[in-house]
Amino acid sequence: MVFNSLTFAVFFVLVLAMHSLPLGWTTKKVNLLLASYLFYAAWNPPFIILLWISTVVDWYAAQGLVHAQRPLARKAWMLLSVVVNLGMLAWFKYGEFALDNFAALMHSLGVAYQPPKSDIVLPVGISFYTFATLSYTLDVYLRRAMPARNFLDYALFVTFFPHLVAGPIMRPTELVPQFEQPRRASGDAIRFGLALMTLGLFMKVVLADGFLAPPAEGVFDAKTAPGALDAWIGTLAFSGQIFCDFAGYSTTAIGAAMCLGFAMPDNFRFPYAAIGFSDFWRRWHITLSSWLRDYLYIPLGGNRHGPARTYIALMLTMLLGGLWHGANWTFVAWGGLHGLYLAGERMLRSRFGHWRPGPLTFFGLGLLTYALINVTWVFFRSKTFEGAFTMLRGMAGATPHPMPLLSACELVAVALIMTSIVAVHWRMRDTTLEAVVARIPAPAIAVGWAAMAFAVVVEQGEGNAFIYFQF
Amino acid sequence: MPSSISSFEALPDAVRATAADRPGEAQPVPVRPVPPRPWRGIAATAVLLAVIAIAGWEWQMRRVGLRAGDYGIEPSGWAAARRQIDMGDLPVAIVGDSRILFDTDLDRFQQLTGVRPLQLALPGSNARPFLEDVANDPHFHGLLIVGLADMSYFRDGIGNGERALDRSHSEMPSQRTGYLLSRVLERNFAFIDPAYRLSTLVYTTDRGQRRGGASWYYRPWKLIQVDERGQASLWSKIETDSHLRAQARQAWLDMPGRPPRPPVDAKTIESTLAKTQAAVARIRARGGDVVFVRPPSSGPLRVREEQRIPRRLGWDALLARAQAVGIHVDDHPQLQGLDIPEWSHLSQRCASVYTDAYVRLLAAATSRVAIRADAPGPLTPRDCVTKSPGHTAADAGSLSGQ
Repeated sequence: MVFNSLTFAVFFVLVLAMHSLPLGWTTKKVNLLLASYLFYAAWNPPFIILLWISTVVDWYAAQGLVHAQRPLARKAWMLLSVVVNLGMLAWFKYGEFALDNFAALMHSLGVAYQPPKSDIVLPVGISFYTFATLSYTLDVYLRRAMPARNFLDYALFVTFFPHLVAGPIMRPTELVPQFEQPRRASGDAIRFGLALMTLGLFMKVVLADGFLAPPAEGVFDAKTAPGALDAWIGTLAFSGQIFCDFAGYSTTAIGAAMCLGFAMPDNFRFPYAAIGFSDFWRRWHITLSSWLRDYLYIPLGGNRHGPARTYIALMLTMLLGGLWHGANWTFVAWGGLHGLYLAGERMLRSRFGHWRPGPLTFFGLGLLTYALINVTWVFFRSKTFEGAFTMLRGMAGATPHPMPLLSACELVAVALIMTSIVAVHWRMRDTTLEAVVARIPAPAIAVGWAAMAFAVVVEQGEGNAFIYFQF
Repeated sequence: MPSSISSFEALPDAVRATAADRPGEAQPVPVRPVPPRPWRGIAATAVLLAVIAIAGWEWQMRRVGLRAGDYGIEPSGWAAARRQIDMGDLPVAIVGDSRILFDTDLDRFQQLTGVRPLQLALPGSNARPFLEDVANDPHFHGLLIVGLADMSYFRDGIGNGERALDRSHSEMPSQRTGYLLSRVLERNFAFIDPAYRLSTLVYTTDRGQRRGGASWYYRPWKLIQVDERGQASLWSKIETDSHLRAQARQAWLDMPGRPPRPPVDAKTIESTLAKTQAAVARIRARGGDVVFVRPPSSGPLRVREEQRIPRRLGWDALLARAQAVGIHVDDHPQLQGLDIPEWSHLSQRCASVYTDAYVRLLAAATSRVAIRADAPGPLTPRDCVTKSPGHTAADAGSLSGQ
C-alpha cells in the first residue's frame, strides 16, 4: 500500500494502536513483522516469497560468514548472498531489457532474433530491500558488523514497513540494534512524527502530484516540441516533482518510524542548494549514494590507485547507479552525465583547490549546479533519447516555431513553487528541520501543520504510486 | 557522490551527520531529536484548525452544488463491474464513452426489458479497446451495446479508460480496500470530487491568457454525477448554470490559438474498422452479438465531428464492415429534439426519453432484447423537462436539427 492512501491511514492507526498495547517486546516485534508483511502483500501477495528468499538466504549467508574459517569459504558465503540477491534483481528488473538489447545486437549483425514475449512484473521495492539485505552480508563480510543475534530482529530489519519499498535504504547497524531493546515513542515524539508525516504527504500529494506533475507531463508527454519557456518550466516542474515525491516519501517514512519509537536516517539534505555535484550527492538520496560509495566505488578502488582508476571507478559507479533506477539506457545516460559532472568537478578542484568563492559567486555556483542538475533530469524523465534531445533542443531555444504548451497559470505556479523550494533549500542548507522548528513560535507551527493537513485533505489525491516505487 | 571529493565547506555544526559523511564505516543508529516545543498544545490546535477548515470547505462545496453521495467512477469500481462478465451469463452489457454512459437510463432500460444492462462505459475513453476486451473474454455470450462518439472511437489510444482496463486485469488488494473506503467517504462528504481538488481549482482559474497554451479552462471539467447504484448522468448544474455550461461547451472545440485538428486519417479509419470487424466476429463466434449506438450531439461540436470523421467514412463504413446493426440518432426522429445542454450529453430527464426510444429500436432490431408486456408506454421529447432556458431548439440533437 502507498502512504498516500486511505488503506494506509487505516493500517497505520491499527499498527500504532497495537504497538501501544501493554504487550511484551517480542510480541510487539512479531506484530510489526506481520504488519510489514501485510503492508507488502497489499501490492501483490505472491511477491512476499521473494522477500522471504532474500531474508533467509542472507540470514544463513551471514551465519556462514561468521563460522567460516577459511577466506575462500567466507568469500563463497558472501558471493552466495550477492548472486542470489542480484540474480533476483536482474531477473525481474533487467531480464526483458537484456533480451531486447540482445535482439537489437543480433539484428545489427544481421541475425533475425525475436525474444520471447515477457510478462514479468517488477516486484515493488525489490531494488531497495535487495540493497538493504545485501548491506547486511557485506558488512559482516567486511567485518564492519556482527550478525543479528536473532532471526526476528533481522527479519524485521529487512521488512520494517516504513523503509521497505522506497527507503531510506537502511544498514543493519542502523536498525537491528534498535530492535534489541524495548523502545517506546514519547507523546511528543508521536506528535512530531505525525507532523513529519503531514509534511511528507503535503509534499507528495499537494506539490508533487497536484501542482507539479501536470505541467511536467504537459511538456514531457507533449506530441510537439517545446519552446524554451515551456521546456525549462516543464523540466523545473519535474525537478520539483521528483524531489517532493521522493523526499516526501522519506519524510513520511521517518515520521511513521518515529511514531513507533524508531529512528531512521536522513535521506535528503536540501539538495537544490548544493554547490557542485559531490555536494549534491551528499544531499540527494543519501542512503543510496552512500551505499554505492561503500559497496561499489570503494571496492572498485575509489581514489586509492591514482587518477585514472579513480575516474573509471567514478564513472562505473554512476553508470550502475543510473541503471539501478531503471532498465532503460536513458537512466544510464543520466548516471553517466552525473559521472562526467563529478569527474569534471574533481579535475577543477585538483587545479583550483585553493580558490574560495565570494558570496555572490557562491550563489552563482549554486544556481549553475541546479541548472545542470535540471539537464540531467531531462534524461531521467524522458522515455527515449529522441524525447530527451527534443527537450534539450527546446531548453536551448533551438526548436523552430514552437507552439505554447502550458497555460499561464501553470507557468506561474511552477515558477512560484520552484522558487520557493530552492529558496527554502538555500535557507536550510546549513541547518536541520528540527533546529528551525525549535525556533518557530508554537502558534505558527500549529497553523502551518493545520494548513498542510487541510491542503492534503482538500487535494484528495488519487493514491498515485511514488515515482521511486518503480525503481 | 564519492567521498573523495570534498565540498567547498566543512560540515557546519548545525547539520546532522549522515552516511554521506561517514565513508566506509558501519553506520551508527541514527539520532532523531524532537524539537523542544509544546507539542501537545500545537497538535491540539492544529487538529482543531484543520477540522474547522475542512468543515468550512465542505460547507462551501455544498453551497456551490456538490452533494454527498455523488460517486465518481473509479478504476476499482469499474473493475468490480467488469468482473460480473466473468461470473456467468450476462444478457446485456454496454461499453463506450461518456455519451452512452450519461444518456442511458439503466432503470428505464430495466423497466422496458426486464434486464438491467451492465454499464461499462467510461468518460473520455475510446469504446473500441473495451469492445476488444469483451471480445477476448470467453465468458461473454450476450448482447454488447457499443456506444460510439465518432471522434473518440476513430483514434488509436484508449483514452481515460486505460487505468480502469489495467485495473480489471491486475488489481492490488490495497486498491480494492482503498476503493471501499473511498465509497464511505463519498457517501458522507460532498467535497470528495476530483474536479474540485485544490490544484484543479487553481489551474482551472486560467482563462487562456497564454494564447495556444493548454489552458485548463478548455478541458472537460466536472460533467458527471453518479448515484449509489452506478447510474451516471450529466451534472445537473450544467443544465442550470450558464457559466459552467459555457465552459463545458468550450471543452469540445479546438483550443484558441491552436490550429484545428485535422480530419482522421485513412490509416486510423482502416485500422479501427479492421479491429472492430475482428472483435465483432469473435463475439458472434461464441454466440453473442454486437449493436452500435450513436447518441446525439449538437451545435458546433456536431459540425466538428462531421468534419473530422464524416458519417460516410466512419459510422456507415463501420456497420458495413462489421455487418452489424446500428442505431444512429440522425436516422430516427424519435431520438431527436432532445435537450443537450453542452452539445455532447443529454440532460438527465432527456436521457430517460432517449433510452426509452433507443431500447425500443433495439428490441425491433435484435431478438436478444424484448419489450415486456407490462412495460410502460413510450416517452416523447415532451417528457423531457428542459431546465436551461435559451438553448433547447438550437441544441436539439441531430445533424438536421442544427
